[in-house]
Amino acid sequence: MVTQPPPKSKKKPQLVLNIFIWEATQNKEKDLRSMDGASTKGVLSHLSLLEVQARSRKTQPQQPSRVKELKAKAEALMTQRDQLKAEIETHKSLQKLRASMDKQRTHEEEEEEMAEDSDNSQLLRLMARHTQLKDLLHAHDIIGGYNIIKTRKGKGLCISLTTAYNGVYLENYNLEMDLKPTLRISRDNIPPFIPLKSLAEQSNMQTDIRTLLDPLSQHLNAFAARKQQFKLVKELHKSVQVMESNALCSLLVLMFTVPREKTAVLCSLEYTDHTRCLPTRVHFECEDKGLPDSPQWKKNGSLLMETPVHKALITMKKMGDIV
Amino acid sequence: MDESTKRLLQRLMRRIPTQMLRTTLDKWGRLTGEQLQSMDFTQSKWALTEKLLAICEENELAVKHITELEMIYIIDNPNQGMWYAFQLMDPEDDAHSVELTQFKEQFKSHLRELIRHVSVKIKKHTDEAVWIRIAWGDTFSRPNHMKPTYVVHSLQTPYVFVTSLTSKQKPLLSQALVLSARYQAIKDANLSGRKLTAIRDLLMRQYHQVFPTRYPTPLAENNQTVSNQHIEREQAVPAANRLQAAYEAFGGGMLPQLQSAVYKLETKFRDHSNKTMTEREEPFRCVVKFASTNLLESLRHCASSGIASTPVTPLLSSIPLKGKNYFVITDNGPGPSSQMRQPQN
Repeated sequence: MVTQPPPKSKKKPQLVLNIFIWEATQNKEKDLRSMDGASTKGVLSHLSLLEVQARSRKTQPQQPSRVKELKAKAEALMTQRDQLKAEIETHKSLQKLRASMDKQRTHEEEEEEMAEDSDNSQLLRLMARHTQLKDLLHAHDIIGGYNIIKTRKGKGLCISLTTAYNGVYLENYNLEMDLKPTLRISRDNIPPFIPLKSLAEQSNMQTDIRTLLDPLSQHLNAFAARKQQFKLVKELHKSVQVMESNALCSLLVLMFTVPREKTAVLCSLEYTDHTRCLPTRVHFECEDKGLPDSPQWKKNGSLLMETPVHKALITMKKMGDIV
Repeated sequence: MDESTKRLLQRLMRRIPTQMLRTTLDKWGRLTGEQLQSMDFTQSKWALTEKLLAICEENELAVKHITELEMIYIIDNPNQGMWYAFQLMDPEDDAHSVELTQFKEQFKSHLRELIRHVSVKIKKHTDEAVWIRIAWGDTFSRPNHMKPTYVVHSLQTPYVFVTSLTSKQKPLLSQALVLSARYQAIKDANLSGRKLTAIRDLLMRQYHQVFPTRYPTPLAENNQTVSNQHIEREQAVPAANRLQAAYEAFGGGMLPQLQSAVYKLETKFRDHSNKTMTEREEPFRCVVKFASTNLLESLRHCASSGIASTPVTPLLSSIPLKGKNYFVITDNGPGPSSQMRQPQN
């Protein structure tokens, strides 16, 4: 492949090497034995030519246009430097202002008077407040709105998870955590049938604590909701007998009495999805084998799957299906 | 009714206090209204026993009915004897969906496979706990109803509470429990006490625990006589801090009643004034036992009154935190789960 000789107008040392390479490629067809000698001669002569040119250039004065160029460049760089300096100053005063704002928030002291009460300082104060609010929103985002406080002078955290159902606050659960060497749960009052350990292992809590808190809150709220539903069934529906339930509130077996015939229907509600408060399976058992398949009871079955049990029972009573 | 059944009933009658007799018999439901009326509860226990024996003969009751009565009495009065806690480990995938009938059948069949002559009675209590009564026999003799083992377990929790179990019976029970509850192993939870309700509440975290909050509610303080206004004023903040630390470590309100905590030390002797002991290579074996009618209450008071320094040492706060009252302490780092690191002191 023949390449164009490099432009001689760019007077750089790189040029020498390029010429050497070009010469070498040009002399490829020549006799191998004599190639070295011939190419070397060619390159050396070029080298000496360049050396002479370089020596003469040193004594020549700079071209005027070039000088103008460089002067303009210098000015541009100086303006840029001044701009950056001004930005740094603003940033510094903003940080100072922000630091005093943060201190104000925690100590609730009297607001310090700014030295100059000019528009400039007003603007700065607004900007500082803006960054403060942005950081606050970001922090809220990170912790997902859970109630977290620092403990042991910043060495620990205590997270409070609330549960609620039907607009009523129920139990509060707490997690106490160590921050060093890694984030680790040190104490909790989560009931043993909530799989806290496996949720912690499956989560990414070192980088995003919400990967632990959100599923945990889901489990706890669903458990509290089911527990509340079971409690309401016992309180509001004395005619329905609770045959079996368990600590996790994932199973409820009720005994219904059908009016008129006075037959007993055993109803099993299984809540296998522990993050939900509605059953995953409803099963009826009755001496009258045909009853569970009747359209009325099929409707009751889907009602129990879709409505919280204590409310579903109200409907079933109204429809006259149970006593 | 044969002799052994009679003796069982007599023994049971000696156990049940007279004031509880009426309600227990009522719950039992094996006596007719008139029969119950005919029993004069002002008579002596011996007389009542004779009367009850006669009624049971009349109703042709057998051993299984008497054991029913015993179970009812024990379930209502579980805080007697010594209860030991065990923990089931490594649940199988279907451990969470084990339901009562399945557990009952599985337990009975597994236990019967392991030991031929055994009498098992399982009952579900209203608080979702499953009670199991086991009377053990062996290849040659019938089940001995005089020394039954009682087991309490809540499905979907890993805890099992046992009383009156011999070391020979332990592996059999363990095997049956592990298989029927769908776990892979069972271990000693190192917690024991006279009150079942206390050790159960401790492990199931069913007592009031105090956590640090932004707006702490004022804690209940002992009514101490104000000795000196100045001391009160000076000590107000440190006293409040000690109280908070004590309540966070042990809990608030009524604490589960533990009777003892045992620390088995296997650490090197450390006292520079006693060269002979410190020079020994082997660890100095020593057992430290704390005993009280309500151990946790006492320890909490030690911390809040300043006798024990706050923050409370992990040696003491581990009792409620880990739900254990038996610890083995070595010099090295954490060993098996029952061990604890000794604090640098």
